[in-house]
Amino acid sequence: MTSLGLAWRSTRRYRVRAILAVAGVAIIGALLFDMLLLSRGLLESFADLLRSSGYDIRVLSRDGVPVARVPISDSNRLADDLRTLPELGDVVLVRVERAAVQSTGGAPRDVTLVGTTHAGGGPWTIVSGDNLPAAPGPPSSCPVLLSAPLAASLGAAPGSPVQIRVQAGNATSVLPPLACRVIGVANFAFTVRDEHAVATTMAALQEAMGDTQPPDADLVLAVSKPRTGAAAAVRAIERLRPDLRAYSNEDVIAQFNQNGFAYFRQISFVLSSLTMAFAMLLVATLLTVSVNQRLGEIAGLRALGIGRLRIASMLMWESVLLVGGGGLLALPLGAALAAVLDRILKQMPGLPERLHFFVFEWRAVATHFALFAATAAVAAAYPIWLTARLPIASTLRREVVD
Amino acid sequence: MTAVVEVRRVTRVFPMTAGPVAALRDVSLSVGTQDYVAISGPSGCGKSTLLHLVGCVDAPTSGAILFEGRDVATLSEGQRGRIRLTRIGFVFQRFFLLPMLTARENVELPQAEARVPPADRRARTRDLLDYVGLADRADHLPSQLSGGEMQRVAIARALANRPALLVADEPTGELDEETGEHIADVFDRVHADGTAILVVTHNPALAARASRRVLMKSGSLV
Repeated sequence: MTSLGLAWRSTRRYRVRAILAVAGVAIIGALLFDMLLLSRGLLESFADLLRSSGYDIRVLSRDGVPVARVPISDSNRLADDLRTLPELGDVVLVRVERAAVQSTGGAPRDVTLVGTTHAGGGPWTIVSGDNLPAAPGPPSSCPVLLSAPLAASLGAAPGSPVQIRVQAGNATSVLPPLACRVIGVANFAFTVRDEHAVATTMAALQEAMGDTQPPDADLVLAVSKPRTGAAAAVRAIERLRPDLRAYSNEDVIAQFNQNGFAYFRQISFVLSSLTMAFAMLLVATLLTVSVNQRLGEIAGLRALGIGRLRIASMLMWESVLLVGGGGLLALPLGAALAAVLDRILKQMPGLPERLHFFVFEWRAVATHFALFAATAAVAAAYPIWLTARLPIASTLRREVVD
Repeated sequence: MTAVVEVRRVTRVFPMTAGPVAALRDVSLSVGTQDYVAISGPSGCGKSTLLHLVGCVDAPTSGAILFEGRDVATLSEGQRGRIRLTRIGFVFQRFFLLPMLTARENVELPQAEARVPPADRRARTRDLLDYVGLADRADHLPSQLSGGEMQRVAIARALANRPALLVADEPTGELDEETGEHIADVFDRVHADGTAILVVTHNPALAARASRRVLMKSGSLV
């Protein structure tokens, strides 16, 4: 019989011990798996969110910061200049304002109003109706996309009339509200829970703001050409306009990883290490107790000429079976726990709805099993050492005397 | 008669916190290939210590143990393990069968360790279980066997690799008188079939079966 066979029989023989060990390791393993998902989940989710916009370059004024942007002066000319760069493809202007939206006879709702030159797309997914038109519409046409919760709240659907009034700071504009028509309902990628959003054309936003000139964008989105890449595109933009700040998606993710995400990584590392230590101690304790109960048996085997290596590998396999069984069970358990924790954490205010804290990755599974393999080896080390050093004669004598 | 094992002026001292204790003092003994030696004596006289030295699981403080002419002290742990596996069969008072293995698997284990081909070890195991009268209990776990049956399995296991010497430490110590008699019968057959036996026992009936009886007292042969 192989060492694995012996270990399997031993595990089955001491069934209660095995069930306790596997259950303990599964619970600890579920926490470890969640820590591994958490250690990169937010970052992966954030990266996914950025990439879902379809643009890989962001251009901002140096006077603002990404979360409190200021308009870029003469942004229309900037867009034309950027379009001449060989490193760039599509260029889109975005301006975000606070506004109030009202359906006929309904109460006004505070919204984030996004004006964009984007044609036929954007960081949203159409749920019903159409996207914003590719070509500028006739004067006084104000096509809008409503976020799905807003549409539900207003009782609006594609074709419904709504009125938009831009807010200046905390005050409502004295301008008359702009009559618009809902052309579609969409899920917005960056909206936070309970935030209502409306997207429209830059021309409609200009009309809502009562400007004679198109408003300056506070964000320029661009797509880099695949052959040059985002980094070269960023350098080209900063050469062209040193007064602006350009970021690739990777730059934003790296900054997020370094600053906003460091806490999660550190917490995850500490908790992962603790869970590993718990798993190791649990299995090492159970194996050590088990070995101590079987010292006579082991001394007997050694007296019969069964080698140290065979007994060591049997113990190692026992450890692998206990840790491996628990580690396998930990995956579905951890996934279920992650789903619950993700729902809880997403209640935090100010987070985009599509952002997740726990994101499944195969590398997390691979790391999970690598860590558990190491745990099994470390957990078995002491019992193996104990049996390797076991004095056969005195153990046999003690067993009889006891 | 050739000696399987020779004990030459062996002393075994155990270091204890209260001071060293000499379990054996200047003991000499020779066990030939056809011998059946029974060692008796009061508890603590050094019987088991002598058995462990002969069985190559312990080393003397002074003196020498020669197993089939080789000084055990000069052998590595691996070589001593090999001797225990192939040339010595151990029978313990408490059997020490692996509880998760059947009788057949317990008997096969030392053969597997000695890399006996599977077909050969299956045949040998069948023969041995038949030899000790347990052919019909081959697939039973130790927990499903009586004490006498467990000891018979342990004897079959000890004989698995055709040892030159069978060493037994109180093999009837955990058994009633009648079962002890059955075990003694098995020992007689093993001896008659050409295996040397060294048995430590308090059981006068078992000792009486031996061709040579040795009495020990206070670490010395009397």
